[in-house]
Amino acid sequence: MSSGKRWRPLFRLPRFGHRAISRELEHQLDDELAFHIRMREERLAKLGLSPQEARADALARFGDHERIRAECLTIDRQYAREMTMMDWVESLAADLRFALRTLRRAPAFTVITALTLALGVGATTAIFTLVHGILLRPLPYPHAEQLVRVIQSYPEKGLDLWPLSRQNAAAYKKDVTDFSHFGAYYPEGVTLTGDGAPERLMAVHVTGDFFETLGVPATLGRTVRDSEVTKASAPVAVLGYGFWQSHFGGNASVVGKTIDLDGTPTQIIGVMPQGFSFWRPDIPLFLPFAADPAKRYGWFLGGVGRLKPGVTVTHAEHQATGSMWNWARTNKDLLWGSKPIAPETTHMRAIVTPLQTTITGDVRRPLLVLQAAVALLLLIAIANVATLVSSRAAARTPEIAVRTALGASTRRVARQLITESLVVAAVGGIIGLVLAAAAVRSFALWSNNALPRIREVGVDWQVLAFALGISIASGVLFGLAPVFRMARGRRLADDLAGTQKASARTTTRRLNNTMIVTQIALSLVLLVSAGLLIKSFRRLVQTDLGFEPRGVLTATVPFPMKKYMNRDAAGPATASIVERVRRLPGVREAAATTRVPFTGVNTDGFIVEGRQPPPNAGAETQVVQSAVTPGYFSVLQQPLRYGRDFTTSDRDSSLAVVIVDDAFASRFWKGQDAIGKRMHFTGDMTWRTIVGVTSSVRDQDAAEEGLPHAYTPFAQEPNLEPVLAIATNGEVAPVLAEVRRAVSELEPGAPLANVRVLSDGVSQALANRRMTEILLTAFALLALLLAVVGIYGVMILYVTSRLREFGIRIAIGAEPSRVVRLVLREGLVLGVAGVGLGVAGALIATRWLESLLYRVSPTDPLVFAGLAIALLAVAVASCYRPARRAAAADPALALRVD
Amino acid sequence: MADAEIDLLRSSLDLLILKALSWSPMHGYAISEWIDDATRSVLLVEEGTLYPALHRLERRGWIAAEWGVSENNRKAKFYSMTPAGRARLRAESRVWQRNADAIAGVLRRSSSDAS
Repeated sequence: MSSGKRWRPLFRLPRFGHRAISRELEHQLDDELAFHIRMREERLAKLGLSPQEARADALARFGDHERIRAECLTIDRQYAREMTMMDWVESLAADLRFALRTLRRAPAFTVITALTLALGVGATTAIFTLVHGILLRPLPYPHAEQLVRVIQSYPEKGLDLWPLSRQNAAAYKKDVTDFSHFGAYYPEGVTLTGDGAPERLMAVHVTGDFFETLGVPATLGRTVRDSEVTKASAPVAVLGYGFWQSHFGGNASVVGKTIDLDGTPTQIIGVMPQGFSFWRPDIPLFLPFAADPAKRYGWFLGGVGRLKPGVTVTHAEHQATGSMWNWARTNKDLLWGSKPIAPETTHMRAIVTPLQTTITGDVRRPLLVLQAAVALLLLIAIANVATLVSSRAAARTPEIAVRTALGASTRRVARQLITESLVVAAVGGIIGLVLAAAAVRSFALWSNNALPRIREVGVDWQVLAFALGISIASGVLFGLAPVFRMARGRRLADDLAGTQKASARTTTRRLNNTMIVTQIALSLVLLVSAGLLIKSFRRLVQTDLGFEPRGVLTATVPFPMKKYMNRDAAGPATASIVERVRRLPGVREAAATTRVPFTGVNTDGFIVEGRQPPPNAGAETQVVQSAVTPGYFSVLQQPLRYGRDFTTSDRDSSLAVVIVDDAFASRFWKGQDAIGKRMHFTGDMTWRTIVGVTSSVRDQDAAEEGLPHAYTPFAQEPNLEPVLAIATNGEVAPVLAEVRRAVSELEPGAPLANVRVLSDGVSQALANRRMTEILLTAFALLALLLAVVGIYGVMILYVTSRLREFGIRIAIGAEPSRVVRLVLREGLVLGVAGVGLGVAGALIATRWLESLLYRVSPTDPLVFAGLAIALLAVAVASCYRPARRAAAADPALALRVD
Repeated sequence: MADAEIDLLRSSLDLLILKALSWSPMHGYAISEWIDDATRSVLLVEEGTLYPALHRLERRGWIAAEWGVSENNRKAKFYSMTPAGRARLRAESRVWQRNADAIAGVLRRSSSDAS
């Protein structure tokens, strides 16, 4: 067989109007027509016409030769086309029929192969669906690639992510010419009052340019106008689609109506379209606010800009940083420094990032790790199936030889084998797709919106194309294995007899061994990755947070602003609510605070009496500040190291006091008593006396120590949105009902908001890590299972092909245990090779995991060694049954002659 | 030739070819001779028009073609009737007969009415 011929395409589509066929058709037609004219000529000549006359007459009687010829040719060509097509379809159908018949005769092979593939394709497709839906698919805004998030940073002051002030926002809008639009926003709850009970709603407060920046118009009415965002203009609101549906039944006449928000009549001017989301889906309300350049204080805004076409993110960031430096030069009094600062000498800058990266930032790395993991899993599955297919091809060698001998071309047989593989791949792919769809659906439910955009994720045509693509690709990949075998020159007689030459057998074995070693290696990479993540996650979960989140209920009580124009009234009001709640059944202890662990951080600068703050001091000048009522530390079981807790006598009129945590105290008074020392926050200049020191807590991220804490008495720093923290005696639900009733009695205009169980908040904060850990573990176990099946299959095959030899060994007196050892040794060699390769691979791969690990080195020797040994043991163990079979080889076999 | 006449000719030609081949396989020339004889040279004004008809019938599967040797030892394409063609002939000739009778009847009556 010439090599050129061997590589003719196996599944060539029929080529229409093929020149050779066309020429042949013309040729035949001309013969046919010429024959007719010739016969007529002869007939006429017999009647006595001269040859010339006969010729002319025959042609005349024939008619328009050219037209007739053309007409016939058209018909013939069409006919030829139809025939070729029919041939092709027929042979394809025959191939398929034959494939189905052969596969039905080998159900075990078919089921195992299809399921193996289904697992590979299913896992890969499921993760691809997530990656595609969350990372790759553009955000649902027109030209979403132009949208950027704008935030600032001032690392010297510990402000890694520093929100914008209204003044900053106004400056960016004016100065950054790279933006065609720039809007700012901040989320803050509002209380809706009306017919029913008051309701606390999430609202995003936006500047006039916000909607235009995103480029999404209202589906009903209109969005906010720039002119509406001044103090003087009447309050207006834009509704989210879900809120419109749930509260107004989707009634179009809602535009122009008025609702009461925080006691202010607010006119509804529009409704956003279904599916419109910003950071989170289903935002009920959008309210305009003014980015007033005169408002210098308060950094709480996020910025979103739309780049002009052709402008790079880097360039816009450069411009924005320039604008920020200008602002810093003219507002040095705001920057906690007495001396003028030169912004160029600091790391102060504006941070401009594509909006999509910002939204998906936290899950990008875990998702890509998972994608890599499933890619490995798929490879293992393919290697496994390839082993199975090629073993089966070896078993079918006689059959194929017969077919070749009977005249089937190599091409035809190869095509048949590939068809079989593709049929199996298609079945596996379909099952895999079903698995993937089910997995993604249950995953979306289970993850409980911990992932951004998870609700938009689904199986679409791109996912379908992906699943189809990898199924076909893998089908071709493993289908080729036996074809390669076949393409090699071989002796027909050997093939017919089923007696392979030693060299051929070695080739098969070498191929299978390579597959096995690869599988073991890939499995180990997955196992080690999963192992590291599990270890890291366990460490994280076991981390002592410094407080007990279990059974603690938290809920915000948003006091109506109108009623509490005088903020100080909120202190006693909160105290009486806490007092009431504390006495409810099922409540162990209750308190109020301004901040619960694992929500946002409110940091403040501070000065310690008698200490000079270092110039351009960094993060050490920042502290997490919260105001708490007496009993707060008892609710959280956060032990007081020394000193005292707040009491009800810590009032507005009494001495200003503060409780700091260990981290704070030990920084300034290591080994000394901190009680009686004084400090003040940079926000207000009141000197506060330290009366107690608590233990430190990790309440921002379990993986990090975070900033030190300082607590003030709630009565001295009252807040209009106190958060109740209630330690229950177990059952949370009945307590919640009681609390609701108590609060609505005492404060009818304050609906409970953000009701959570603290431990849920903690696990929510760990949800991404937990997801990665669980999925990766699942993939690793699947990989292990596949590897075991693969090793078992190959060893069985190896033993079967050498059964005669084992028989001889036993016949001449070898102990069966020796044979067992022989086979096990074979397995051990493969295992060691695979594990060695795997360790090398894992050393490279796990470096990629580093940022996901917590207090575990990416080369953790315990994980590496443990899993390597375990995998080796599993590999050898899965050789045990094949070894037993070898030992049971019948010596008579050796004597049998085929 | 008017279009109506072409249509009529075409369908009658198809029928005649099938009829001719119902006796035995023939090559094109023989078929044309047969039709000429049978219709007293009315139908086949241009002999060549026979061939598109033959190729069309072959494509429809009503006749099959095969190269063979003619009575005077020349290579010739022989057409033979397929079972499908035979069925077609039976069905078509019945329809043709009925239509022809009906039309002939109408024409007779109309002409007598007119007079």
